[in-house]
Amino acid sequence: MASGNMKAIKRRIKSVASTMQITKAMELVASSKLRRAREKAETGAPYFEKLYEMMTEIAHTRKDFSSDFTEKREIKNRLFIVIAGDRGLAGGYNGNLLKSVLADCEGDENKPHIIAIGRKAVEFFEKRDFPIAGRYPLLAESAKTADCGDIANIAINMYKNGEADEVKIFFTAFVSPLVQDPMSMPILPIDSDDGEEYPTLINYDPSPEAVFDRLVPKFAMSLIYCALNESFASEQAARRNAMENATDNAEKMTDELTLKYNRARQEKITNEINEIVSGANAI
Amino acid sequence: MTTFHLQIYTPDRLFFDGETENLIVRTTVGDKGILARHEPYVAALPIGKLKIKLNGEFRTAAVSEGVVKVSKDKTVILVQSCEWADEIDVERANAARTEAEQRMQSLQKEDKDYLVAEYKLKRAINRIEASKLE
Repeated sequence: MASGNMKAIKRRIKSVASTMQITKAMELVASSKLRRAREKAETGAPYFEKLYEMMTEIAHTRKDFSSDFTEKREIKNRLFIVIAGDRGLAGGYNGNLLKSVLADCEGDENKPHIIAIGRKAVEFFEKRDFPIAGRYPLLAESAKTADCGDIANIAINMYKNGEADEVKIFFTAFVSPLVQDPMSMPILPIDSDDGEEYPTLINYDPSPEAVFDRLVPKFAMSLIYCALNESFASEQAARRNAMENATDNAEKMTDELTLKYNRARQEKITNEINEIVSGANAI
Repeated sequence: MTTFHLQIYTPDRLFFDGETENLIVRTTVGDKGILARHEPYVAALPIGKLKIKLNGEFRTAAVSEGVVKVSKDKTVILVQSCEWADEIDVERANAARTEAEQRMQSLQKEDKDYLVAEYKLKRAINRIEASKLE
């Protein structure tokens, strides 16, 4: 009996150890990817910041500044750009983000249009019959600005045609290697109007409106690009944490199982000695 | 000659950061020369070329769509992409040009992708032209 038990425990130890090997490897891969992703996210940030600064400045030069892109319309249809991961095993990374999207459109009459980035997002919204305006699986890791430009153009065209009165982006903000928060941010209409006027003596060529309208696609593109890079860094951080925990748990489990195994072995030996001793006594 | 501080940003990096004597840039309304102590000025940039005077010599770069902003302390250029003319891979630009041309022939003018191909063609031609200037 004891030897059968021992065999089973041994098999468990083996299987836990091989799982641990996998989780350990995934942890290492995720941490090296995380380092690269963070660098990429940091290099793209200044372009976006400068662009945003310029656009707010333009919108503030005149009180009567108006552009199609700042005008607030009655919201009937919405467009969500959702950035999730391509793979699972990243803790709550995909789940938290997708949940926050569902929470946002709860109680809406029409389901929002979705541009899904990442395989998990594509699968999620297809299964729930959301109208999908764009599918971009397997994009995040090697995203080029041109890809983000395509996505931005889809969004801007839908906004112009009136198919969407509001465009929002959902992504995961990288707060620290241990904390990643799902977030949403409005892209269109651009909210730059706080009713104030900051008269500056800047000469706009040809006009503030013309420059502004030309900047909008760049703004949307770079916002998507930054969000994508940041989400990818978050995904790697989340995966690294999840895998680190899994490795720790596996370690604990092998320790416990080894203890059990040793006990069973001891028991078996004691039994054998007992048998021998009582056998000898009988003779 | 007096110099001024110029920064050129692309979405993935800070392409140029330094002092220059003279900047000539193509805006949507025409070529514009910028020297030190220029008035505050903002203009949109189409696909085109820009020249920067460094140590008395002009360097050319191919850029695609963006904006230039001159303010008191510095000048900032934000563009989709930027490449020094002498670092352009002409073979790749030529390949991109043929590909875009072929694509435009196979598409109708109303197609959404037609504009994309046209944009790619413009960029390829711009890069080829810029590489010849150097």
